[in-house]
Amino acid sequence: MKNNKSFWGVASFFTMLMVWIEMPLLAQEVPAHAITNVMVHMADGNVIENTNIVWRNGIIEQVGVNESIPFDAFVIDGGDSLHVYPGLIDGMATWGSPDIPRDLPRLENPGKPPYDRAGAQPDRIPAHYLNEDKAFEDAMESGFTLVSLGLNGQMLPGHIQPFNLSAAKLTQAHAFSDPIALQGSFDTAPGGWGSGAYPSTQMGVMAYFRQLMYDASALQEHMMYFEKHSNMTQPEQNDVLEALFPLVNKEYPLFFEVDSKEEIERLFRLQDEFGFEIVLVSAKEASALIEELKARNIAVLASLDVTEMPDWLEKEIKDSKVNNEEISESGDDDSDNEDVERIELTEEELVFRSKQKKAWEEEINNVASLVKAGIPTGFTSDGLSPKEIQKKINLVTEHTSLTKSDLIKLMTVQNAYILGISNRVGTIKEGNSAHLILTDGPLFEKGTKIHIQVSQGVINNFMED
Amino acid sequence: MKNIVNTLLLLVIFSVPSLAQEKGSVFIQNATLITITDGIIENGDVLIIDGVITGIGTNLSAPLGVNVVNGSGKYVMPGIIDAHSHLNTVSTNEARNPVTAEVTMEESINPNSVSIYRAIAGGVTSIHLMHGSANVIGGQGETLKLRYGVSQDEMRFRNAKRTIKFALGENPTRVHGQGNGIQPRTRMGVEQIIRGHFDEALDYKKKREAYIETKKVYERDRRGRIVPPVPVAKNLRYDVLNDIIDGEILVHCHSYRADEILMLMRVFNDYGIKNYTFQHANEAFKVAPEIAKNGAYTSVFADWWAYKFEVYYSTAYNATILNENGVTNSINSDSNELIRHLNHEAAKTVRYGETSEADALKMITINPAMQLGIDKMVGSLEVGKHGDIAIWSGHPLSIYSKVLQTYIDGKKYFDMLTNPADMRIAVDSNDSYTEAEFNTFIKGREEDACMSDVFELIQH
Repeated sequence: MKNNKSFWGVASFFTMLMVWIEMPLLAQEVPAHAITNVMVHMADGNVIENTNIVWRNGIIEQVGVNESIPFDAFVIDGGDSLHVYPGLIDGMATWGSPDIPRDLPRLENPGKPPYDRAGAQPDRIPAHYLNEDKAFEDAMESGFTLVSLGLNGQMLPGHIQPFNLSAAKLTQAHAFSDPIALQGSFDTAPGGWGSGAYPSTQMGVMAYFRQLMYDASALQEHMMYFEKHSNMTQPEQNDVLEALFPLVNKEYPLFFEVDSKEEIERLFRLQDEFGFEIVLVSAKEASALIEELKARNIAVLASLDVTEMPDWLEKEIKDSKVNNEEISESGDDDSDNEDVERIELTEEELVFRSKQKKAWEEEINNVASLVKAGIPTGFTSDGLSPKEIQKKINLVTEHTSLTKSDLIKLMTVQNAYILGISNRVGTIKEGNSAHLILTDGPLFEKGTKIHIQVSQGVINNFMED
Repeated sequence: MKNIVNTLLLLVIFSVPSLAQEKGSVFIQNATLITITDGIIENGDVLIIDGVITGIGTNLSAPLGVNVVNGSGKYVMPGIIDAHSHLNTVSTNEARNPVTAEVTMEESINPNSVSIYRAIAGGVTSIHLMHGSANVIGGQGETLKLRYGVSQDEMRFRNAKRTIKFALGENPTRVHGQGNGIQPRTRMGVEQIIRGHFDEALDYKKKREAYIETKKVYERDRRGRIVPPVPVAKNLRYDVLNDIIDGEILVHCHSYRADEILMLMRVFNDYGIKNYTFQHANEAFKVAPEIAKNGAYTSVFADWWAYKFEVYYSTAYNATILNENGVTNSINSDSNELIRHLNHEAAKTVRYGETSEADALKMITINPAMQLGIDKMVGSLEVGKHGDIAIWSGHPLSIYSKVLQTYIDGKKYFDMLTNPADMRIAVDSNDSYTEAEFNTFIKGREEDACMSDVFELIQH
């Protein structure tokens, strides 16, 4: 009996060992996938025609013109007319995140709220909070294959973690990697007037943030002492403060959602005090601080959520076009229409218009200015739905020097760089994770449809039905 | 070639912000100079070089290249200083705790507000940007120079003393006591909040210093025999409270009633705190000798009262009585409308209480400067002081006089004749013309501006 037991013990050990040794071998038996005869859009903007791409187990094995296709490959023929792009990456979104709770109970002492009621939840990890969200499917259909997820919250909503957009219902299993950063903003404590708490202003958020950092470094020191001296008072368990240790130790970047020039300057103050790395998220006025961004080596995940052209300006441009056409047709420089409108405007309104035009041009050129200045610039959907993104892409490319291929770069290679995952995604090359999209025309152009989206090797075909 | 053009272009672009910081030079000739600290000089000249007053007198001459302004028939006065303003705050009240010493208006400055420009047009060159009065110990204040068009950081008055807002009476008891059911609900509670927090801060200081000391000993101990200290985290709130006790921060206390004014002086005497200012202080006239004896200052309205119960017992003679009793008193606005004509507010002390014109003008120049710890730099026309001045069309206490030009650090920020009508910096690309509200001037005094952000809060 005793022997028997040990026999089974040894046997099961060897079985497990064999399974363990065989695993990679077995895995290689998984068939490869290939897309053949396509135009591949490379990171540098070059297009290589008649190219084949082969991947297996989620990793690109071959990219080339004359590559032989493995015998076991499941092949999708591009028929010389289809395009392949690297999968698009959303630098930051809060899809699938639980909403900020409503109807919070009134606090007994709003001046001393628990961490979550103050808006400090840096211990939260997106993988643990994933809800179903239609946005995942919409994003996949729009060509996104990877998204860096944050959580809805306030000052410190949690960690930021990249996920493969390989299924409409994401779970922890779809995580692309461990969390890569902490998420931050100047948002005040939740609850509004009725049940709000400290900090309720931006200056309060700044002070509270500082205090958290001081408390975290004291706790970390205490824990280090306790490790060596078990005869001293035991440090408290505190997940919130412990989640800030990487920030205290400058080992982790803070992805901070912020727009106005003044708020970005306030964030710089916190950076000066604590020395951590910052990535700006949204950053609609970041181009006003280009020299500072350069000096601090700060990257930007830029929002494309720009305002439509003011109605009066659109009309003015349209009218002047009509007039120009009339002039060229009739050879007459009579522009009565315009004059009539001009006369109706007061000088005050004219001044207003010139100021507004300047403001709008600055706003819409924000991303273009960042790119031009060489600031590492990526893209965040930042609350825009995939449909809205297409609309904003049209707006930005129509009115600034940015082209659609510039924007694709932001959404692929640049985002991969900023998220610190460019060794795996962002470009189409051997050894990279298979994040691809197959389209029937140039991406973001009118009429172009996305046929297939591949996220870490998993194929989603949108043309099947 | 293209590179050179680009470089030049870059130079032009990046010299804009530094231009904004630039100090200017100007020579104002043949004007009536109201020096504040040294009488009136008829047919006088003021020379400002690189932001600093270098000459005051008659028959001065200016170096070549300095812009000359003909001042004949005009008055030159130091820029008005408003010791109580919420002119361009982002938010005013961090109203969720009775003590918020750790927050600072330095981080709540909106440099783009057109209200800044409107204040310069009233001859104001510096303001004390204050936290509101919702809390017993509110946030730290920030003294600003109204350099319109610069960044929030460049607006800060360098080397001004640090300040903080305290508030007594109805506001903090209403917000925290009635609103949230916590201390303070009464004036007695207000006193205990102050004493309690000072005591906690002193206690923290002892513990923190002991920890730092033991840590040093522990780190020097190579044999590992010493048990390390339990770390005491740096505490921003207590650090600021200790700085108040140590005299590094000047307290400006919102107060109305005589009894609460006496209370605070008792408390401050117990903790050795000096050089503080009672803001509003409508009943200060009742205890003027006591205030003078304690060396405290007051900063009052000329004639603004009755907007709540604690402000009913008021008089237009308040400023005069305080002044006669030797209290250094200033007249403040606490309002984006009043700030545009603080000269009128000062004039009221002459009209009501027959305060001398010289003393009336001190109340909007050198006196507030003393209360903010900037009187060595501004507040009078003196050689060596900053070139912060205004040129008036007539005597500044006359209802008919207007500000023609305002200079800060010798640089002109306002010119009534040449500036365009619309001086807004920021126009939103989303606004329609009618929504943009250029024509919406402030209609009157905003009552109790100190309580902005919290009116909705106190409904509960």
